[in-house]
Amino acid sequence: MPRPEPKFVTFEIDGREVSAPEGSMLVDGAKYGDVEIPVFCYEPKLGAPVGACRMCLVEIEGIPKLQTACSTPVKDGMVVTTTSDRVKNAQNAVVEFLLVNHPLDCPVCDKGGECPLQDITFGWGAGRSRFIEPKRHFKKPLELSPLVHIDRERCILCYRCVRFSQEISEDYQLVLVERGDHTFVGTHDGHPYVGPFSGNITQLCPVGALLPSTYRFRARPWDIESAGTVCTMCPSQCNVELTVRDDKKVLRVNARDNTEVDDGWLCDKGRYGFQSFHAPERIVEPMVRDGGELRPVSWERAIGDAVKALDRAGEKTAAIVGGSATNEEGFLTQFILRDVLGSPHVDSRLGGTLDPEQARQLARPDLSARVSDLDYAGAILVLGTEPVDEAAILDLRVRKAVRRREVPLVVATSRPSTLDPNASAVLRYAPGAEEALIGALVAELGGGTVEPAVAPEQAEGAGVGGAPGEGASEGEAPGEAASEGEASGGAASEGDTSGWSAVRFQPEPARGEDEDSADGATAGGAAAGGAATGGSQPDARLFAERAGVDPDAIAAAAAALRGKGPVVVLWGERVTHGARGRQATQALLALTRALGLSSDDGSGMIEIPTGTNGRGLREVGCVPNMKAGLTEAETDGHDAAGIAGALGEEVSALVLVEADPLRTHPGRDAWERGLDAANTVIAFSHFADDTVTRHADVVFPAQVYSEKDGTITHPDGRVQRVRASVKPPSGVRSGQDVLLELLSRLSGAPFRLSPPQLTSFYADTIPFYRGLTVDEIGGRGVRWQDRDAAGQLAQSPLPGTQLEEPPELPDGLRLGTAPSLWASAETDHAAALRFLAPTQRADLAPADAARLGVGPGDLVEVAVNGTSVRATAALRSAVPEGSVFLIEGTNEDNATALADGSAPVVEIRKLADAPPAEGPVTDEPNPAPRAETV
Amino acid sequence: MTQHLLFKDIDEPGLSSLEVYERRGGYQALRKALEMEPEAVLAELNASGLRGRGGAGFAMGKKASFLPKGSMDKYLCCNADESEPGTFMDRELMQKNPHLLIEGLAIAAYAVGANKAFIFIRGEYELQATILERAVAEAKAANLLGALDLWVHRGAGAYICGEETALLDSLEGKRGNPRLKPPFPANQGLYQGPTLINNVETLCNVPAIVEHGAEWFKSVGTEKSAGTKLVSVSGNVRRPGNYEIPLGMRAGDIVYGLAGGPPEGREVKCWFPGGSSAPVLLPEDLDLTYDFETMAEAGSMLGSGAIIVVDDSTSIVSLALRLAEFYRHESCGKCTPCREGTNWTVKMLERIDNGEATPADLDTMADVQTNIMGNCLCVLGDSMAMPVGSMIEKFRDEFERHIEEARRAGGGLPLAAHGGRADLAVGSPAA
Repeated sequence: MPRPEPKFVTFEIDGREVSAPEGSMLVDGAKYGDVEIPVFCYEPKLGAPVGACRMCLVEIEGIPKLQTACSTPVKDGMVVTTTSDRVKNAQNAVVEFLLVNHPLDCPVCDKGGECPLQDITFGWGAGRSRFIEPKRHFKKPLELSPLVHIDRERCILCYRCVRFSQEISEDYQLVLVERGDHTFVGTHDGHPYVGPFSGNITQLCPVGALLPSTYRFRARPWDIESAGTVCTMCPSQCNVELTVRDDKKVLRVNARDNTEVDDGWLCDKGRYGFQSFHAPERIVEPMVRDGGELRPVSWERAIGDAVKALDRAGEKTAAIVGGSATNEEGFLTQFILRDVLGSPHVDSRLGGTLDPEQARQLARPDLSARVSDLDYAGAILVLGTEPVDEAAILDLRVRKAVRRREVPLVVATSRPSTLDPNASAVLRYAPGAEEALIGALVAELGGGTVEPAVAPEQAEGAGVGGAPGEGASEGEAPGEAASEGEASGGAASEGDTSGWSAVRFQPEPARGEDEDSADGATAGGAAAGGAATGGSQPDARLFAERAGVDPDAIAAAAAALRGKGPVVVLWGERVTHGARGRQATQALLALTRALGLSSDDGSGMIEIPTGTNGRGLREVGCVPNMKAGLTEAETDGHDAAGIAGALGEEVSALVLVEADPLRTHPGRDAWERGLDAANTVIAFSHFADDTVTRHADVVFPAQVYSEKDGTITHPDGRVQRVRASVKPPSGVRSGQDVLLELLSRLSGAPFRLSPPQLTSFYADTIPFYRGLTVDEIGGRGVRWQDRDAAGQLAQSPLPGTQLEEPPELPDGLRLGTAPSLWASAETDHAAALRFLAPTQRADLAPADAARLGVGPGDLVEVAVNGTSVRATAALRSAVPEGSVFLIEGTNEDNATALADGSAPVVEIRKLADAPPAEGPVTDEPNPAPRAETV
Repeated sequence: MTQHLLFKDIDEPGLSSLEVYERRGGYQALRKALEMEPEAVLAELNASGLRGRGGAGFAMGKKASFLPKGSMDKYLCCNADESEPGTFMDRELMQKNPHLLIEGLAIAAYAVGANKAFIFIRGEYELQATILERAVAEAKAANLLGALDLWVHRGAGAYICGEETALLDSLEGKRGNPRLKPPFPANQGLYQGPTLINNVETLCNVPAIVEHGAEWFKSVGTEKSAGTKLVSVSGNVRRPGNYEIPLGMRAGDIVYGLAGGPPEGREVKCWFPGGSSAPVLLPEDLDLTYDFETMAEAGSMLGSGAIIVVDDSTSIVSLALRLAEFYRHESCGKCTPCREGTNWTVKMLERIDNGEATPADLDTMADVQTNIMGNCLCVLGDSMAMPVGSMIEKFRDEFERHIEEARRAGGGLPLAAHGGRADLAVGSPAA
């Protein structure tokens, strides 16, 4: 659906003629005439108005009763009065009623001074109360959750928090209990209100009833200042407003509404993670390894040591840039390596390189969607990403589109997604089978051709001429097909590695001998026929089988996406990872054609990178095969895995810029070996993580985002400004300062650039960022695609749509690993969030678990080639058979020990029975203690 | 004088069975309606001037014609959540003549093109719900309902679910809270579909209108209040019960003539003409005719047609307190004036009783009632504010006397001195 053009209507309010957009509610329309109508329950972000508080009553000519301005749309010729005696009486009355049961404990209430109830009482109340009877009492304050305290006596029952839980986060946990003046906000069963977005209710609450546990009794409004910046804890890059005390301490983080980015919401990691800024374990002074121990040293010594080491290593230096680094830090790092030291080994990605041609194709402005396009999309495809874990706030954005506009949603993920219940179609493919899955969608939607991967002569022999989709009809004798399938399936296991044989595709090898295998064989056989001729249309069935997905599901998904208007594809960078990343990217680009994305109508793709600033770092050249501006590097360097392998030999010094490869990068063992073998490891770090304590030789304390100045690039291309809001601890210097100093000393030429100068400097090296300044970026950011310079992106025409035939699925349990919102350093070091840090959990299909003799809660060992992690088994019916999922980034038993960029086949062994149950193993990590209710 | 339309065969043994009902001419109207065009049925209902019997008195045919035309799923809900204190005529209708309701419902559904119908019956009406369910099963078995899907749904015991939008929420399985209007149920009602909601008695009038025609129906009653009305007379009368009267009858004839007036030696102090939500009227108002427009002109309302008679043995303060307690208990809590106003009023009345009030508090209390009225999300707040406000206005002397006596006695005594707390009769001994 194209974005609606706002039409304006003219109405009269308090004697002035006002034009406001048609359809806006009177409360909003009145603002166009500078008339303020007080509200409590009205919050347009929460969906339809409820008209509960009655604060916004106004008089409308021709309507006998006073009307709620929050629910009355403006109309041409409407005559509205907000200042008549009648309206004033009603406003006074409502304020008086609201205060009947409000404790008026403003002097000790944390909301005092920034409280809408105070403001409205002052502005629209009668200034007195005639209520002298006893007020109602509740036990207070209570922990609604470890993160939110509730004071039910202060609550004015405006419904905002409940509506948030019901209609925005859709966790349906908060409800109003009891009725009348006994009503109170709570959960169904008194369980704590825990969810990824629970903290938003503290910002929505118009009184002091819901307060973040981290802010109670910390400050009064006159003690604090607000500072706007951007959260760098995940790729959502939500705009935030920091509550700062004494220029040095962040006391609170609130959302700073930016429709183009976050819609005014903030996840709990973003809201409470600030505690990690002030954690006692934060590194606040430079350190150098001395006699095997890290010891604090002066900055001069640390920088001197680093310069010496880098000078010595020269082109044998490598760098890993972590996701929270700014464009400036990333740019300087790759500049030092490439232009000063002569090393191409710099990477910010986790899973191999992206072909430069493909990178430019993916970056094409016409293929790119903006976040707000989700609001107006005709259909949404979530592909290979779990928004709530990887870019949390976009989860709410997708839910909004489905709830408000009933946008068809297709969820294509290997791991069960929290968006499944909202989806019109769900595609649950085998881990690592993105290539096949996307190919199947392309085939079903029409478009693309298949080139046989290998041995075309064999392919021709296998059966020629089957048109796509033909042959797999229900008419085929199932018995015959089944026996054929079994026979050739057996043959296939005898060492046929060509990846091509007539009827050998088993959709899910783990399924065994039930009737599914018959279906699979039937479809597989037909698929082979369809795909046989080189360069023919890809066969949806063949691709579906190789993705481990029912072809009918592919058809349903395609139907949900087809002809609904502009499609927005939210896809995970992980699609491009691994050995077949190039082919998967090719399929993805073919998909953009099949979906007709290349036009400027609100359709397009948004890539969720694995790191916060993944897009920016790629565009400033923090990848081994591309310089700043997505142009081919003169020499291709090693990617991250390559660097790990080359450490100690081809690479002797490693610079880690806010990166912790032992936690985030696949191949943990290879990294351990590599870091051990490295001569020098120089780390810019916030915390003494394993990488630092065990391997770093020089440690520079890194700034957290509240202390940083710089720019980062949102997944949709919006360059945003991170602004220093507090002074860093005395021993901490800014990363870009330190990098500039390293640059000066290593090159012998002084580089003295202020943060804004550095921004302009790097921007001018990227053709499509050219001319960008911090002033232009401002407080809301600017999408580079919307600037004139966007045309400077070297245009790569979209490729042909030849798709290679995807590899077959291996037999056995395939491991999928995925990040968790809560498996992060911020969670570990923020006291309030620590209870959410997950322990390792293996999500298994109940049938697989039964076969392995594993029950819910059992301790299991998941092993690949002798490397293993321990996990608690969780049985989830949404996990397809043949798949098992582990969490990346946990403190212990990190799944990165097993991950290698592909989806390895794992062995699972039960170690111990579930401990005597305190409750079933749920999806929630570490259930918090029960909250007390009245 | 009395002309029976709804209560025609009400005492016929076995009337609740399909056999007896049909023998008495039942379902003839439905058969006739099915031979007419739906628009014609609707036009007949429109022409009859039948006004909703649930309380608001809105023209039934007009309400039905608000539903959009088209082939979408449309719903018909029968509001049988008869919870207004003093009201019990629907109970008798459903208990003794369930097929009359089903027939009326089927005709109305046909007229508006509804394919799904629900009877939302209050949870306490166990017996009536069972009878209805049996009757619905009989009608379905006899293939009288055709494609109409008819369900009997038992409420869970909240007064607010008699409010039409709260009824819809409750029916959908949600907490029974009134919805913001617009959108009106005619456009977006049950499950967001077009919905017609009618009271039991309203629907029970439908078969007769179809069978005998609008003109015949209009021959009874007054110009603006056509037809008969069932009145539930309760309180301090000798013969409480349900009576069917032609609208426009003199109120005194109902209270004294039909119901026998107050017990020996007592006098009528005030009376509620239309359930406990209606502002009270004085004995001299018994000379008025009992119809929608006259009651409205007198500053009250015909409401649900429940006449509650209060005699001079009842303390007006205790009556106000009992009423306020009821509405405070039943307030859903969604909107501010109702939630806080009902609770504040109860606390003020309790204070009067406890001897802790002054006459100035009466001004506050009256003002609170004014502040509630018209400012709420639904009419529940008004339902308390109207009668309590009218009592303060009309019996201010007694309130002041009560305040004074209670102050002297130091609280506690006055209610006993005035004959204990008033108890509103909910349900009739005669039903």
